[in-house]
Amino acid sequence: MEIFITGYGMISCIGSTIDESLEYLRAEKTGIQLGAFEALPQYRVGVVPFSNDEIKAKFNISTDGSRTALLGMVAAKQAFEGHKLNDSIRTGLISGTSVGGMDISEREYKNFLEQTNHNPANYKHHASGTSSEEIAKELGVTEFINTISTACSSAANSLMMGARMIKNGLLDRVIVGGTDGLSSFTISGFKSLMIFDDELCRPFDESRKGLNLGEGAGFIVLESEKSLKLSGKKPLAKLTGWSNASDAFHQTASSPNGYGATISMQEALNVAGLQAQDIDYINAHGTATPNNDLSESHAIKTIFKDAIPPFSSTKAYTGHTLAASGGIEAVFAILAIQQGLLYPNLNFSTPIEETGLIPQLKFEEGKTIKNVLSNSFGFGGNNSTVILSAI
Amino acid sequence: MYYIHSRASITCQDSFRTDNVCEKLVVIDDTSDVVSPEYKEFIPPASLRRLSPVLKMGLTASIECKNQSGKDFDAIVVGTGLGCLKDTEKFLSTFLTSTSDFLSPTAFIQSTHNTIGGQISLGLGNHAYNMTHTQNSVSFEVSLLDAMMCINEGKKNVLVGAADEKIDFLKEVQPNLISADFPLCSGASFFVLSPEKSEVQVKAISTTFSSENVLTDIAAFLDVHNLEMEKIDLLLHSNDGIEEHVTPKDAFNFLDYSGFHYSASAFALHIAHDYLVNEEKEWALIVNDMCPTNIGIMLIQRDEA
Repeated sequence: MEIFITGYGMISCIGSTIDESLEYLRAEKTGIQLGAFEALPQYRVGVVPFSNDEIKAKFNISTDGSRTALLGMVAAKQAFEGHKLNDSIRTGLISGTSVGGMDISEREYKNFLEQTNHNPANYKHHASGTSSEEIAKELGVTEFINTISTACSSAANSLMMGARMIKNGLLDRVIVGGTDGLSSFTISGFKSLMIFDDELCRPFDESRKGLNLGEGAGFIVLESEKSLKLSGKKPLAKLTGWSNASDAFHQTASSPNGYGATISMQEALNVAGLQAQDIDYINAHGTATPNNDLSESHAIKTIFKDAIPPFSSTKAYTGHTLAASGGIEAVFAILAIQQGLLYPNLNFSTPIEETGLIPQLKFEEGKTIKNVLSNSFGFGGNNSTVILSAI
Repeated sequence: MYYIHSRASITCQDSFRTDNVCEKLVVIDDTSDVVSPEYKEFIPPASLRRLSPVLKMGLTASIECKNQSGKDFDAIVVGTGLGCLKDTEKFLSTFLTSTSDFLSPTAFIQSTHNTIGGQISLGLGNHAYNMTHTQNSVSFEVSLLDAMMCINEGKKNVLVGAADEKIDFLKEVQPNLISADFPLCSGASFFVLSPEKSEVQVKAISTTFSSENVLTDIAAFLDVHNLEMEKIDLLLHSNDGIEEHVTPKDAFNFLDYSGFHYSASAFALHIAHDYLVNEEKEWALIVNDMCPTNIGIMLIQRDEA
């Protein structure tokens, strides 16, 4: 059974529509800025330049929610545009998030600690599951709602869960992806791990020092063939491969040889029925931390050997959008397939000495891109790979 | 077929390594606390100091399941309603009050929901599929659904469970973050699901996210599975009102024994399993309407042959 993709939407620091995002990609221009997150202005981060109230007004959102939920609504609504809810198409929503309503909770918890104006009602948006219920409400989806929370691989795992639910005959159509609003909690957390780069991040570069955080949401719509006939939508691409594997090495660090990443890429190829040489572009996880990029480079070399296809990390454009990244990068994969695009790995100059890999350096159009492999790796050694393919 | 092969619960009951948990159940109150096993039998001392209650409970219950089944898991699926609350609160307090540029990362690292699943994979050296679902009161049900799909896809030994922890702050934010008429509690229940035959199987599961009336949902579910309530030997529910309208052979509210937390229905599955085996009955129905719009229904069957 084939899984068709019939909608896509994203919002991040490089734009709140597909077209705006494409302009940044084409211009090789980052959305990461110093001081973009008001509460902690000393960091270089990728922020959607609207307040929660502005998001609601600008995108005609009628459901209340945290920043995570609101960003999710923007992207999910874009993805679902032109789709109609219909009793004969069982439709679900599966969203990945790592922080849920933390942007609101952390403000409220500060009030609690300072014993000023503490309003417990504001915690009603806290739970990650609630953010998905709020997104589903905005879309009118009621049949099935699920939230995956596996840190930075959450959205990729939502794609996988959605595809499996269709294959298992439990849903006909499912909106899948991820969303994370930036919070002081997350920024302070990554700061405590000492994996920030004070400058713009440099994925796969020998001089890389760490990541820049971002925020956003990316969603796509998956449909079965039966659903496609009823919805009348034209497929943009197919989701052909997926896998999740455990690195089982360390709670936050990847194994030096990228064992979990190797399993997840190989299994995704197996699910898709593809060989490594069938992949035309790899959208790497590529966070620009010394550990991830070395480990992922080894895993890529293990799978692709001497014939490594063009690869890049797009995180130097958007920042690392955590649970949203696999959703946003799935949108990039669809665009790559549809328009024959290759995205540059910004800020690269010197290959990692140990592995010598050179990523895609320029924005290119007019390529033939049939299969894109996209990696997302999270805390807890949670390694996921999805493969998107041309119709 | 989705057979239950191992089970392990750490709860406010004397439930861990207990042959028949039903014999041990006592109604809990506000003073009830988790009956902790000897964690040091399962977790090395250095880790033990670092791990929060929900991590210790989830990891220990999983290791116990592994010990019971003796087989490596080919999938690990974890549900949690609110995740690692203690470490989340700890890191919130730390970064909101600290003036230092250097914070300890431990609480942050352990605050993400999938730390439970991650610790299980690390503790067992397991490289398989590892998923974490969080959907408020039906987090266990969506996890069980995933585990059942894993079996459909050919996996043989699937660890599935759910864990949630109580922190004092939850009382401050009732009824906004969590709305409960029962004492709050922590709990973790894990199972091994397999297509290979055992005495008790999960026959069916359903989730509803826009329920208007739980009784209608129960009736529709039973209808789909060609069953009548009169045939149900044990109904476990989370809402005493249900009992006024239906007539199973036996029924009780599982929250009286689990306390209120979003993983409570996982413990209800453990209770249902032990009840069917020890009473030699056939059917148990678990109706979770801890959140009135989101309903989970599980049908459990003991093979009489």
